[in-house]
Amino acid sequence: MKFVRLAAVLIGMVVPLAAMAHGPTRQKITLTAEVAAPPEEVWSAIGDFQDMGWHPAVYSTEGEGGNEIDATRVLTLGEEGGPTISEILYKYSDEKMSYSYRITDVLVEVLPVTNYSSHLTVIPVDGGGSVVEWRGAFYRGYPNNDPPPELNDEAAIAAVSAVYQAGLDALVERFAGN
Amino acid sequence: MLWWNGLRAIDTALAVMFLSLAAGPTVAGDIAFVTNQNSSDVSILDLETGVERQRVAVPGKPAAIAVHPASGVFYTVGPDTKTVSKFDQASGEVLDDLVLDGGPLGIAVAPDGSMIFVSDWYNARIWGVNTDGMEVVRTLETGSAPAGLVVAEDGSWLASADRDADQVSVFDLATFKLRHSVPVGVRPFGISVGPDGFVYTTDVGSNSVTKVDPVLGEVTGTAEVGERPYGIAFAGGKGFVTNQYSDTVSVINLDAMTEQVTIDVGEYPEGIDVTGDGGTVIVANWFSNTVSLIDAGGLDVIGEIATGDGPRAFGKFVAPDVGG
Repeated sequence: MKFVRLAAVLIGMVVPLAAMAHGPTRQKITLTAEVAAPPEEVWSAIGDFQDMGWHPAVYSTEGEGGNEIDATRVLTLGEEGGPTISEILYKYSDEKMSYSYRITDVLVEVLPVTNYSSHLTVIPVDGGGSVVEWRGAFYRGYPNNDPPPELNDEAAIAAVSAVYQAGLDALVERFAGN
Repeated sequence: MLWWNGLRAIDTALAVMFLSLAAGPTVAGDIAFVTNQNSSDVSILDLETGVERQRVAVPGKPAAIAVHPASGVFYTVGPDTKTVSKFDQASGEVLDDLVLDGGPLGIAVAPDGSMIFVSDWYNARIWGVNTDGMEVVRTLETGSAPAGLVVAEDGSWLASADRDADQVSVFDLATFKLRHSVPVGVRPFGISVGPDGFVYTTDVGSNSVTKVDPVLGEVTGTAEVGERPYGIAFAGGKGFVTNQYSDTVSVINLDAMTEQVTIDVGEYPEGIDVTGDGGTVIVANWFSNTVSLIDAGGLDVIGEIATGDGPRAFGKFVAPDVGG
């Protein structure tokens, strides 16, 4: 199986490097979606760092520290025993309805990025609805020159964009008809 | 299942960019040359009027920049195409370029303008390039992943922040020999020389600034700063440090090596430099697509100017206005 084979090859090589080196150009994306619900309601759905169950790709969330700075969580994707992403919270504001987190550990086959940080914010709009804004900053998964196509800048942008879009689509759907 | 597998990819060109306009800063006669990495260009900003005078295309997604006011030029490094480009400050026209191999990243100019130095992130070395003809004439070995570079004001030494070696390399520029390898904080990235002649590094991995005596090759102090310090500049006898993850600038007392105050700026603040009169500190906000102008006396933000996409301005990027 591709995932297992790749993991075996890369685990010794990429993981120690991931925290240190990175490609030459940091990437950033911002995705937004209008959600037909009051901001407080949307924030109560997504504002708990310890529960990312609102995202369709997340099977379970386990963590420590609640919504305090330096709280951690491990997301299990897809199914029990699925791939995981470890994250740490570094900003949290109920008042601004926003939190910021970083990935501390992920295999590049799961998400082809390094040095990843992200902000999730609910913005009130006139008329009582909300906009959810999801922003990310990251380097590609391959830290050295001449990346393979699955670990280049475009692959990193495409993967993170798809994650955000899926999450936002799920929120739009969840609150549709409000 | 993979995190993104089967999910719809979207066109990131649609990503929303927020541009906010200058709030009437008053800075006499200086220009900022801000590298915009994501839009691969340089914003030439009139700091007096708060207006972007010109946008100059640059090959290779530039981050690093070095101005040399005496010769009226600025240099950029585009890592994606491995290109060092030389521009006329007044016209913004390309004068010359040089394509390197490896991973060109940081850049500094010798005070007399005769040479530039470019760090090679992937191959632990610095290229010495003659600016007349843009030819590599020297190669200096550093520790792993050299990033920021700085040259002494009198041109006597060159220092590099060797990020993955957790050290500073100091080279004698008369002989081009390694003078010192000095262990500093964890993963130093930015480097600059203070008004006291000491070298200061921003240590990304330990959220610190390390002060190094470049002559003796010794660490003489360490200050704690915010999350992910990136660059450091000096004004009014103080150090100003951009903290990428904190969205702040730390102001540090250079004698005590303590953080005095933090100033909120835009998101992902990176490159930082000072106007010629020492009155205003300019900060490039990578995520916000702006520069923040900080009053070095009052220690507060007095203006903001919109830039291109992804301003980094890694190096010396402010110069006196020579017209244009």
